Amino acid sequence: MAVAEPFTVALPKLRGRNRPQFEMLRRVGWLDRVALAAFVVVTLIAIFAKVLAPHSASATPGDPFLAPGHGGFLLGTDDVGRDIFSRVLLGIQSTWLASLLVIGSGVLFGGLIGLVAGATGGWVDAVLMRLTDTFLALPGPVLAITIVAALGPSLWHTLIAVMIVWWPLYSRIVRGEVRALATRPHMEAARLAGAGRLRLMFRHLLPGAVPSTLVAASLDVSALVITLSSLSFLGLGAPAPAPELGAMSARGINYLIEFWWVPVIPALAVFFVAVVANLAGDGARDLIGDR
Amino acid sequence: METVRFYGSRLVGMIGVLLVLAFMVFCLQRFTPADPVRVKLGANAQPQIVKAERHRLGYDDPLPVQYFNYIKGIVHGDLQDSLRTRHPVTTDLGNTLPATLELTTFALVIALILALILGIASAARVRGAGALRVVLVAGSSAPVFLLALLGILLFYRKLHWLPSTGRTKYLDAPTGPTRFLTIDSLIHGRFDVFKDALQHLILPGLCIAIGPAVSIGRVLRSSIVTNLRSDYVRTARAKGMREWAVLWKHTVRNSLGAALSMTGLQVGLMFAGVVVIESIFAWPGIGFYTVQAIPRLDFPAIAGVTLFLGAAYVIINTAVEVLQGVADPRLRV
Repeated sequence: MAVAEPFTVALPKLRGRNRPQFEMLRRVGWLDRVALAAFVVVTLIAIFAKVLAPHSASATPGDPFLAPGHGGFLLGTDDVGRDIFSRVLLGIQSTWLASLLVIGSGVLFGGLIGLVAGATGGWVDAVLMRLTDTFLALPGPVLAITIVAALGPSLWHTLIAVMIVWWPLYSRIVRGEVRALATRPHMEAARLAGAGRLRLMFRHLLPGAVPSTLVAASLDVSALVITLSSLSFLGLGAPAPAPELGAMSARGINYLIEFWWVPVIPALAVFFVAVVANLAGDGARDLIGDR
Repeated sequence: METVRFYGSRLVGMIGVLLVLAFMVFCLQRFTPADPVRVKLGANAQPQIVKAERHRLGYDDPLPVQYFNYIKGIVHGDLQDSLRTRHPVTTDLGNTLPATLELTTFALVIALILALILGIASAARVRGAGALRVVLVAGSSAPVFLLALLGILLFYRKLHWLPSTGRTKYLDAPTGPTRFLTIDSLIHGRFDVFKDALQHLILPGLCIAIGPAVSIGRVLRSSIVTNLRSDYVRTARAKGMREWAVLWKHTVRNSLGAALSMTGLQVGLMFAGVVVIESIFAWPGIGFYTVQAIPRLDFPAIAGVTLFLGAAYVIINTAVEVLQGVADPRLRV
């Protein structure tokens, strides 16, 4: 599992008396703003891909192997004359939405396990965390390959496989935060006020774990984009005509030497989306605070 | 006593994780839609024959018995037969493993060298470190297949420096005794083969190495930066040590622990990268074997590879943990 480790975009550091009052806003540099904006733009592209794409994914409006910019095709055409630009847009759609979906499920499932473990303590904590550590100790991507191979290649099976391996990180983070919060005075106050167990968990413990989970999740998106497109490259995504970036690149690899754009442009699209996700993750960390 | 308990708990934990791994693969195998007996005999096989074969292979036993037999088989080195090659998966793994080991070892060495350079240079703010970092960070955001495609376009098509597929162009390349082509060619005194093997290694090795290099380098950098603020560094500087000596002798050494555990974790990602890279470069290793198995629904082969890679990953990470415990007894909790 890709553990997103911290690295900071160079930001002006002000110390002592010169430190501005609205520190949070100042710490977000222009790069972070651009990155967060790009994140929103990519999401919009993903949502409206069908509208934005000039052609459908399976239409063959042009001759095969038109170079980028020729014949009115911005990114050229592939081996059967399909518009690469349209297919890349649709590919970004499936990769991006799939990544967000998997992150969402990982945060929900892992977060729930971490919350229950951290809030309950005792043997429940021990068992759940042992389970989490076991999953953390296994190589996620390799396991995902096996799960898809067993279920049979399809987009949903790939998503299920990655969801199965993508939650332990969040369970660890949430559990750590919750354990730290559990000893704080406000918990005692809430307990004295007669709050029930569920109320303690969701009103008094969970909110404290949200920021660091969000940071981890946003830093994780790019790893997921790359993992999903790699699985698709290996033939483990949606079957052939579907516009998936990894599969498009893999199919086009036979034409690499003569018609480089056929395999390279979908791969570049993965790169673009991953970079946006990476930078936006850093931006989110600076915005929410380095923890 | 303390020490024995530390090693014992790590060993028990490792065996537990391995059993869970085997259990997951076992479950997947039972629930795969492709019936292994059908795939083996073909769709038109007669029902009696299918039934007999099912019984022979033990597929009609109760599940716990099957699981027990499965584990017993694994312990005895039996990973069942590949449905595609019809050989035992263990034999196939034995044939393909050396190529993969050679590639990953080479990639790991490159990754560690790059990580050291990146970590130390950016922590010490050497001129040009910023540019290096941008290149490497961009490289780590790229999927390995993009790196491979661009690498082939640049070094094979444009510059003609490096080959794009396979392990060697020599048909008479030596095949013994280590099955590492670079080492075998040196043993046999075939320097032409050695040079050729090295050329074949560079591009795939580099593609696999860049991602882990950046991750390890980042961890190294942040722990060097933290350690540079510590008291012993102030003492070393105060007694007039050169900055480079402070960095190399004191700081880097104390910072290697975190980088080491990151290396262990990155090995898992490298395995995934290896599968993709081997399929692009037609590298005759276990990744290529897996990629050929996927479209044929050859689940025993895929399961064998997973069990092997998973076990390797778990063992490597346990070893890293134990090594850290040896180096720094404070970590033995």
